[in-house]
Amino acid sequence: MEGRVIVVTSGKGGVGKTTVVANIGCGLASRGKKVALVDADIGLRNLDVVLGLENRIVYDIVHVIEGKCRLRQALIRDKRVQTLFLMPAAQSRDKEAVQPDQMKQLTASLAREFDYVVIDCPAGIERGFKNAVAGADEAVIVTMPEVSAVRDADRIVGLLEAQGLGDPRLVINRLRPEMVKRGDMLDIDDVLDLLAIDLLGVVPDDESVITSTNRGEPVVLDGASRAGEAFRRIAARIDGEDVPFMSLEAQSMWSKFKRFIGVGR
Amino acid sequence: MFDFMSRILGGKSRLGEPRSKSLAKERLKLALACDRVELSPQVFEGLRLDLARAVSKYVEIDEAGMKVRFDSSDRRLSLVASVPVVGTRRTGQARRSKSRR
Repeated sequence: MEGRVIVVTSGKGGVGKTTVVANIGCGLASRGKKVALVDADIGLRNLDVVLGLENRIVYDIVHVIEGKCRLRQALIRDKRVQTLFLMPAAQSRDKEAVQPDQMKQLTASLAREFDYVVIDCPAGIERGFKNAVAGADEAVIVTMPEVSAVRDADRIVGLLEAQGLGDPRLVINRLRPEMVKRGDMLDIDDVLDLLAIDLLGVVPDDESVITSTNRGEPVVLDGASRAGEAFRRIAARIDGEDVPFMSLEAQSMWSKFKRFIGVGR
Repeated sequence: MFDFMSRILGGKSRLGEPRSKSLAKERLKLALACDRVELSPQVFEGLRLDLARAVSKYVEIDEAGMKVRFDSSDRRLSLVASVPVVGTRRTGQARRSKSRR
């Protein structure tokens, strides 16, 4: 059976795309799925350090595309989760080194061997974006509850649609419940209202994301972390499981209900 | 009481100033609507003027009070115009007789 090819994108940089990719991948692999993560940010390689695999790179995605090595030679097996693999980006090349058609071929051959192929898309909407989305079957958009990130996410929804990726799902990253509570941060409903796409999950702003990234260990493996729990649920939802939203999201269900019966806004 | 309610709902702070997230949402609504139609403000003004001209052929309107905007809820774009009508007598017939004078 062919695996699913999922691109993770955001438009704006710095919203946590790479962290989301690492954790979705690690989360899915922890569920026993065979997962390949593709770092499509050629020239600005990052997924390797977030996963703690930076010392193991020999070949990269451009080597594979140029036929200098076989697909398997470039895939690095994760230290902790046996079914997780990374296809690193090239560091000394630029985005022009790859064509959308070549990416399509690459992800198609990965999809024959893996249950999930998750692509880390570079920031921006130029060549790198077009490469990253070329071979994708579905898309996940990462945003933060903040004006510039939401605006860029909206542009991405339109661009994905033009590429035939019509139903992207949204991850709202770095939500700060205490700021939402005092009305100083867009809440989940505000963001969903503005973007009008389906919610995949909400990740609270959590120091453990930074400390675990410092160690090169995805936070999804940390059983005590709130953000880790959010990522475990996101992975489960991608995997087709119907998981309830976490408590900070339950609040939003309540306001949805209020709106439904006509007392909320 | 209303003030209390709106404070509870997060719309206003204690001092009656809107909370920053309401501002963020309002600003984003407008920005996204403009992004989605890819219309420059000048072209939009042209559309507004043409619309006013077209409607005033049939009824008398208050052009200053006219509001035109794009609404893009649920990703379906619609043009929403609110045009205050000040007189309905100005029909094609009336106009002709007016111009004869």
